[in-house]
Amino acid sequence: MSKIVEITVNGMKIKAKEGEFLLGILLTKGFEVPHLCYHEAVTPYASCRLCLVEVNRGNGFRIATSCNHPVMDGMEVRLDTPEILEERRNVFEVLLAQAPDSQKLRLYAKKWGVEGTFLRVQEGDCILCGLCERVCREVIGVSAITFAGRGANKILSTPYDDQNPSCIGCGSCARVCPTESIKVIDTGLVREIPKIHSKHELVPCRICGRGTLTKQHAQWLAKRTNFPETDFYICEKCKTKETAKVYARVIQ
Amino acid sequence: MKVEGLNTNIKLLNVYPYRCTACRNCEIACSFRHIKNGMPSPSRINAISDEQKRQGKNIIVVCMQCDKAACVKACPVNALQRNESTGAIVHIESRCIGCGSCVQACPFGNMKWDFVSSRPVKCDLCGGDPMCAKFCPEKALVYE
Repeated sequence: MSKIVEITVNGMKIKAKEGEFLLGILLTKGFEVPHLCYHEAVTPYASCRLCLVEVNRGNGFRIATSCNHPVMDGMEVRLDTPEILEERRNVFEVLLAQAPDSQKLRLYAKKWGVEGTFLRVQEGDCILCGLCERVCREVIGVSAITFAGRGANKILSTPYDDQNPSCIGCGSCARVCPTESIKVIDTGLVREIPKIHSKHELVPCRICGRGTLTKQHAQWLAKRTNFPETDFYICEKCKTKETAKVYARVIQ
Repeated sequence: MKVEGLNTNIKLLNVYPYRCTACRNCEIACSFRHIKNGMPSPSRINAISDEQKRQGKNIIVVCMQCDKAACVKACPVNALQRNESTGAIVHIESRCIGCGSCVQACPFGNMKWDFVSSRPVKCDLCGGDPMCAKFCPEKALVYE
């Protein structure tokens, strides 16, 4: 059981568990802090640099990323100082220059009052925040995608830029992506995730024939839940109808 | 009946299928409550009318908030947690990674997939005030 400590945020006293990360506490207490690479379910990585706050641990205020800053006793936090707003604006402009094709990122920046950038605009829609990679490695546990290259050549990819056989085609990487850079395209019984060179076949629903999930995902799920793999090859709409049929028999 | 680990003082969403006329008010009330939209398709509750038009054979399918829930077992990030005051299993949006495991794991088809937000949706008993029960004209859904 970790110790409960008290911190001050914008002059307000807040109780928190020692060692928890600051951003999670700020968000649960209703403070608004911009963030892109943070997700509750994975370890913080502090790559988007948007969650900047001013932190005083007894030796003066300094700027730090709140997503990976542990809570300490008597810590003081300031959120919207002019320095923070200036830094945040710069970070947003860098991100907008890095990923100008992302509609979601542009809208998010606009929400925080940043439009356009002073930097030379590049191509692409990925900000290399690594959220997809962390979800794939830590939560799903298959490590199908990772970063390749260094510096300006760093990209998100799979080994040899080819389909990774360990990818289960669950699509979690796409659904956590803060810039919608990774997309899942389901056409009929084929699921394609072009960014990570993944192409899977969806198993058809045993009643209506629509695509449900990939075979590898069903195997992963079967291992997790100890249900037989064939239990998952039915779509949720058909499951509802089957349940209704069972109920109708029961109330006869 | 005393069930271990279950708070017996909590209210339950009871379904009386013989009263149901499959008017689908519950679906629309659910959609309005959760997504502020009158479309019945993303609702968490399903009223299924009897195809053979027999009396009293309309069925309401809604999440039963199982004790040993398959969705909770399938979730890899613990995004489905039980609310102690209402007894409902609540989907915590900020923890969810959208893998869709819970949707496939639920054996009753009560986990729905929202194609707009690419996240699962489920009945959370509206935090202790279910709109479906409020808007059911036949009292086929009663929160008691």
